Amino acid sequence: MSQEYSDSVDLVNAGTVAYLSGAVLIAALTAVLAQFSIDLPGGVPFSFQPFGVFFAGILLGPIWGGFSMLLYLLVGIAGAPVFSNGTAGVGIVLGPTGGFLISYVFAAAAIGLVAHRSLAPVSVDDLPAVGVTAGLVVGSAIIYAIGVPWFAEVQGWTLPRAAGFMAPFAVGDAIKIAITVGIVAGGNELLERP
Amino acid sequence: MLTYTPGETLAHRLDPRGKLAVQFSFAIAIFAGPAVPWLPAMLALAVGCLLLAGLSVWRALRTYWVVLLVLSLGPVLGAVTLGPPWIQPERGLDSLRSVARVVPVLFVSAAFVHSTPVRETRAAIQRTVPGRFGQLLGVGVALTFRFIPVVREDLRRIREAVLARGGERRPLRDRAGRITTLALARSMARADRLSVALQARCFAWNPTLPRLSFAPVDYAVLALAAGLALSPLL
Repeated sequence: MSQEYSDSVDLVNAGTVAYLSGAVLIAALTAVLAQFSIDLPGGVPFSFQPFGVFFAGILLGPIWGGFSMLLYLLVGIAGAPVFSNGTAGVGIVLGPTGGFLISYVFAAAAIGLVAHRSLAPVSVDDLPAVGVTAGLVVGSAIIYAIGVPWFAEVQGWTLPRAAGFMAPFAVGDAIKIAITVGIVAGGNELLERP
Repeated sequence: MLTYTPGETLAHRLDPRGKLAVQFSFAIAIFAGPAVPWLPAMLALAVGCLLLAGLSVWRALRTYWVVLLVLSLGPVLGAVTLGPPWIQPERGLDSLRSVARVVPVLFVSAAFVHSTPVRETRAAIQRTVPGRFGQLLGVGVALTFRFIPVVREDLRRIREAVLARGGERRPLRDRAGRITTLALARSMARADRLSVALQARCFAWNPTLPRLSFAPVDYAVLALAAGLALSPLL
């Protein structure tokens, strides 16, 4: 009887299940953080959206980090209201800010590759702060390198004009990179995984 | 907020694979085709999709108002220059022609979102993308959709706990770092439990999916998708 079942059921191995579960939860967290912000003095909102992309690469490595962001993108295309302002659909991905959404897949993979220096992720504890910083800078550069020309194309603007429009957001992203490096380099035991 | 709403319209009854194909083909047709002469026809087709899904144009416009606001900045800021002559109307018109293409795509995607449950899209992804990668994508989409409300609730509790302890008086770096770390820790703990639960339930490469089948009308939808995808070649 047991032989019959083992022939018909092709189990997914434990390592793949663990990474898939991590990718699912980071995708869900990215979706939630995309709607989340705290108010700074003066009422300026501080958005948490990039943290999902950053930690997808840092915690899951290049392959599963990129996969996690692909899940986020597909869930939004499938109709879950996960893009900013609770929107969903292919129209958002093909709209003015769609380049940023698509870039997350490549940015998370690049962050994972630079920080872990291999396709298989190592423990967060063993990640050097320099590698994590370099990964986040490269990842952010990829986000802007894909997002800004896309924005310029959809808006019918020149590239310098679109870059000027997006420049203020880079300041906030630099602060978020510093916060992320602080979390990882601080040896936070909360982020350790067995 | 626009999400799936159960209904009996024609759009609700169509196979999700055909609807996905129409969405992407529509985008190819509108972005690769000549913008101005085709735009009224594509807009009419998009409005038709909305009506087939039982959705009003006003509802779609209201849903995407932030995107429409960003799009409207295109022609306004596009026409302005930082020196004489200050306003260049032809550059504003170029921008208007570009941003106008996005509106019908938004309408078609609103019709899809309104008429297609996520589990059907998941099945469509899993049956269309080949191999184990497609299976992981399908399962991942379904699980991510399931966990979004759970993670949202976790984050709400963390935010309330931080506020209850006077967290809003802490510096930004401390506040943001604390919230992010706690949210990540909770999510990774949930990931570990999900992993154990999936294995306990014999998570396999060969599960049983909901049945998808093409009715005659779905072939018509697929033909429309093929026509739209090839239209820029005409």
